[in-house]
Amino acid sequence: MEELEKLKNELKKVNTEAAKVRDLPPEKRADFGREINAKKTEILQKIAEVEKALADQEVEPIDITAWSGVNEPLPEFYPTELGSKHPLMTELDRVAEIYQMMGFDIMESRQLDDEFHMFDSLNFPKEHPARDGYDTFRTEENLIPPAHTSTMQHRVLKKYKPYLDEGKAIAVAVPGRVYRNEDVDATHEHTFYQCEGVYVSKTCTMGQMLGILKDFFEKYYEQKLNIRTQPGYFPFTEPSLELLIEKPKNIGGKKGDWLEMLGCGMIHPNVLKMAGIDPTVYHGFAWGGGIDRLVMLKYGLSDVRNFEAGNLNFLREFEP
Amino acid sequence: MRISLNWLKKYVDIPISDEELVRLIGARLVEVEEVIDETHKYDNIFVVRVEKAEKIPETHLTLCQINVGDREINKVEKNANGLVQVVCGAPNVHEGMLAAWIAPGAIVPASVHEAAPFVIGKRKMLGKFESNGMLSAMDELDLGDDHEGIVEIDPEMAKPGDTLAEVFDLNDLILDIENKSLTHRPDTFGMIGFSREVSGILGQQFEHDFLGHGVVAARRHGGDAPSTSVVTSGDPQKACSELLPTILIADENICPRYSAVVLEKHGEIKKKYLSWQDTILAKSGMRPIDPIVDATNFLMLLTGQPLHAFDYDKFVKVGGADKPKVIVRLAKKGEKLVLLDDEEVELNESDIVITSNDKPVALAGAMGGKSTMIDENTRNILIESATFSLYNLRKTQMAHGIFSEAITRFTKGQPAFQTLPVAFECADMLKEGFEISAVADECPKKQPKNVVKITTKEINDLLGTDYSTELIVKTLKNVEFIVVREGDGLTITAPEWRTDIHIKEDIIEEIGRLLGFDNIQAVLPLHGTAGRNTLFDLKRCLRDSLSKYGANEVLTYSFINGKLLEKAGLDTKNSYRIVNSISPDLQFVRQSIVPSLLDKAYLNEKLPVKKFAIFEMNKVYRKDLGLDAENVPTEKISLGFLVAERKNTQTAYYLAKKYVAKLFEELNIEAEFLPLKQKLPETLPFEPKRTAEIWVDGEYLGVVGEFKNSVRNNFKLAPYLAGFEIDLPKLLEKASSKKVIRFGQKKTEDLTVTTDKTYAEALREVQAKYANAKILPGTIYQAKGQKTRNITFHIELML
Repeated sequence: MEELEKLKNELKKVNTEAAKVRDLPPEKRADFGREINAKKTEILQKIAEVEKALADQEVEPIDITAWSGVNEPLPEFYPTELGSKHPLMTELDRVAEIYQMMGFDIMESRQLDDEFHMFDSLNFPKEHPARDGYDTFRTEENLIPPAHTSTMQHRVLKKYKPYLDEGKAIAVAVPGRVYRNEDVDATHEHTFYQCEGVYVSKTCTMGQMLGILKDFFEKYYEQKLNIRTQPGYFPFTEPSLELLIEKPKNIGGKKGDWLEMLGCGMIHPNVLKMAGIDPTVYHGFAWGGGIDRLVMLKYGLSDVRNFEAGNLNFLREFEP
Repeated sequence: MRISLNWLKKYVDIPISDEELVRLIGARLVEVEEVIDETHKYDNIFVVRVEKAEKIPETHLTLCQINVGDREINKVEKNANGLVQVVCGAPNVHEGMLAAWIAPGAIVPASVHEAAPFVIGKRKMLGKFESNGMLSAMDELDLGDDHEGIVEIDPEMAKPGDTLAEVFDLNDLILDIENKSLTHRPDTFGMIGFSREVSGILGQQFEHDFLGHGVVAARRHGGDAPSTSVVTSGDPQKACSELLPTILIADENICPRYSAVVLEKHGEIKKKYLSWQDTILAKSGMRPIDPIVDATNFLMLLTGQPLHAFDYDKFVKVGGADKPKVIVRLAKKGEKLVLLDDEEVELNESDIVITSNDKPVALAGAMGGKSTMIDENTRNILIESATFSLYNLRKTQMAHGIFSEAITRFTKGQPAFQTLPVAFECADMLKEGFEISAVADECPKKQPKNVVKITTKEINDLLGTDYSTELIVKTLKNVEFIVVREGDGLTITAPEWRTDIHIKEDIIEEIGRLLGFDNIQAVLPLHGTAGRNTLFDLKRCLRDSLSKYGANEVLTYSFINGKLLEKAGLDTKNSYRIVNSISPDLQFVRQSIVPSLLDKAYLNEKLPVKKFAIFEMNKVYRKDLGLDAENVPTEKISLGFLVAERKNTQTAYYLAKKYVAKLFEELNIEAEFLPLKQKLPETLPFEPKRTAEIWVDGEYLGVVGEFKNSVRNNFKLAPYLAGFEIDLPKLLEKASSKKVIRFGQKKTEDLTVTTDKTYAEALREVQAKYANAKILPGTIYQAKGQKTRNITFHIELML
């Protein structure tokens, strides 16, 4: 308190001093003003700090080892009906669960990565315009919050390579949060979720890739589905495809409504090679698709911005 | 890019319905964003002859009697001579001309996509002249921008009464193509390349005429240049003309090939009639402008090779020499150039410039310069046909914001093989007014032939198919690959325009795609079982638990405003900083979860939500944790939790503690709650007098407590506020499935202790007395003015 009084007195003094500006010749006034203002700012800052410290000091200590306050009842949990799980997480859990049923290990994606994993290890030529297409955020250190879960492909291949030596296939699903540096509107978020799949064996084929993806979506939507493809382009797969499914009946689909679900393709030999896997012996396929869209379709939502808004009126609509 | 199906059909025989064709193109070539149906856009628009044209005095109007052939239009009366009356305001209307007449009841084509399309009627002009329909200009027909005069039609192409749509092939479907899906296929950005692919998809051999046919020319480099489709005959002496330009390319990597054809004017090109070529430009999203520009644009749409026309004499004059010296180089810092659109741009060092004797005259691939633009006085033209580094042009495109049809093609990496033949073709198109006076071609960078050896088995093994060698060979030959077969082995040479073919997988993609990926049988592989991801399972378990106890899971951004960090008492210097974020709200990578929850608590208290517990499990990064073995920032996976109520005067700490303790109990972990001593990024917002560190087996796991008043004030939150933040991998490490089962007869009794010690100290004394009993907390009572408290324990004894 004394310190605060002292500072307030100092401030008064400075204010009185400031009034002297009128007695000065005009050419000196500007310098004088600057000097006084600097002093004032400094004192005001100190006052704010002291006040903040005082506010923090006013606090009564409590017995942190106890389970209730003195003369207070024991606290109660909130009722279950108030609770909710985030729909994106519920869906991500479900997607991962299905892949696990299908024999895929789960490895979560990083949220801050480097140029090597995001691009170089995925066969993106240096300075290739395809890199621009991902609209990545970057840090001062040139680290990249990944724009796709494929940023984990190289790690998956390296970590699971021993499986191949044992005669097993690599089968891994990679759920994770990804980022694109773009303006947010009802259908665009700079932050969203994806799930990647990576599969490598001696005998794998594109037919198997289509089989796994069809099986996944049929399990996810709990019904038989039609799939079709269109050619795509990704530097890290060759051939590359986009996979579409005929919109399932249980989310209001009619015959001839097609949904673009994900990009996929046979892993480019350079990607395998960089992870130390011989592309003349092993082949692989990989895919990646968005989770947000699955949730939007499932609940008929139209504004993607709700997901990260933290608004409980929205979130409490979902099940605990 | 827009593709006219009618134009496509001039190159490929289509034995299937348009609907099926569009489906196949979508499945095997590109993403078709939209099919624009123009099959009725030109309904009830006819070719007519103006038989009589009389000026209406004191107006700009002309009273016309038109011959509509044997057309009978509802409510339109013909006069005794069988002619229909129309009033026309165009200055160029004259007797004997063929014009395009929009009949009453028809929609003006330019307005078909508007909300209220403009339907032409029959009306009285100046109160007395009946006018039926209208004679239309280019803009009204949506074929150009010209509104100066009405369209005139070549009498050799049509007669009165013909429909305009039939004469010019206007009943069309236009495909709007998603360019991104063709990033790697520059060859398909021209109709020839696009048709070749469609032909291949349909299983047909593609055939087309070579370009540059009949052009009499010789090349400076003789047979040196890699152009296979140029016919060189005629007078090679002409090449030695004094006009011959010199081309200097500073770096072969910025400009693999530069061809220049100089044309000398010998007559006027009469642009009188509407042409089929005009309609192609319009349907492709461009506009007819003048014969020279139209020829370059049309050839770009046809071949994918953009051309640029310089005024030759201006070009030479700018350079200050007596003959043209084309120097292609990177721009120098501070260099400026005034472009065709009158805008002066400051060039970057990555921009490629075309210079005349080192003076910049064009921003290569992007836009020509003002100083050398062609105009009505142009005598000689220099046609540039070149290829440039797509990397540089990409930067130019972004830096100067130029998104033309030409640069779209250049940034896909146009192949070098056709620069000269396309320039020759351009000369041929302009021969009515110009003849070739000189040719130069500089090709410093030779393109290697792309040869791939592969077997039928390798193709089938990767696709999961059973295609025969014959089918594979035919499929590749259809799109002009050269295939040499030796048994099962194929040696495949890619055509010059396929610069993207390098490895076996590229060939496999061609086969899979052209024969249809959708024809591949989907099968399931046999493979092993999956292992568990225990951290993922733990999160699932915590999510279930917390939401069951009434908490709400939220997700908040990984990047936050620096102010948010400061409000929570954290140092922004410890955060990785995003340098290119679109908003200051996304400038710093967050160091912990709780500050984001404090931010969301404010929003929810304002809604208002009376009471809530929110939590988030996510990854955080901070500089003090350094880098991991992979040389990327060490990752921390954290659970943040916050409980807040607008009106509650009790101690929030104990509710937050109850939640965190419940999680530990479910995971069979014994935790200790010790006074907060450490200053860590996650503990900084917490008030040490009302916060505990959570320790398990001598290891710190996290923090639970109330917040400093300053922090709470900064976030403008009500007093009932507490939270916790714990490290999930460490929690996982401590979790156990060993649950102590207490089965048998039990008895519960209450014990109240009067003490001035803490709860924990009192508990220890009680525990010493009751070995093997389970002791649960009861309430704590303290009378006013008393130093001691009464602590009640519930004691569960096994009998």
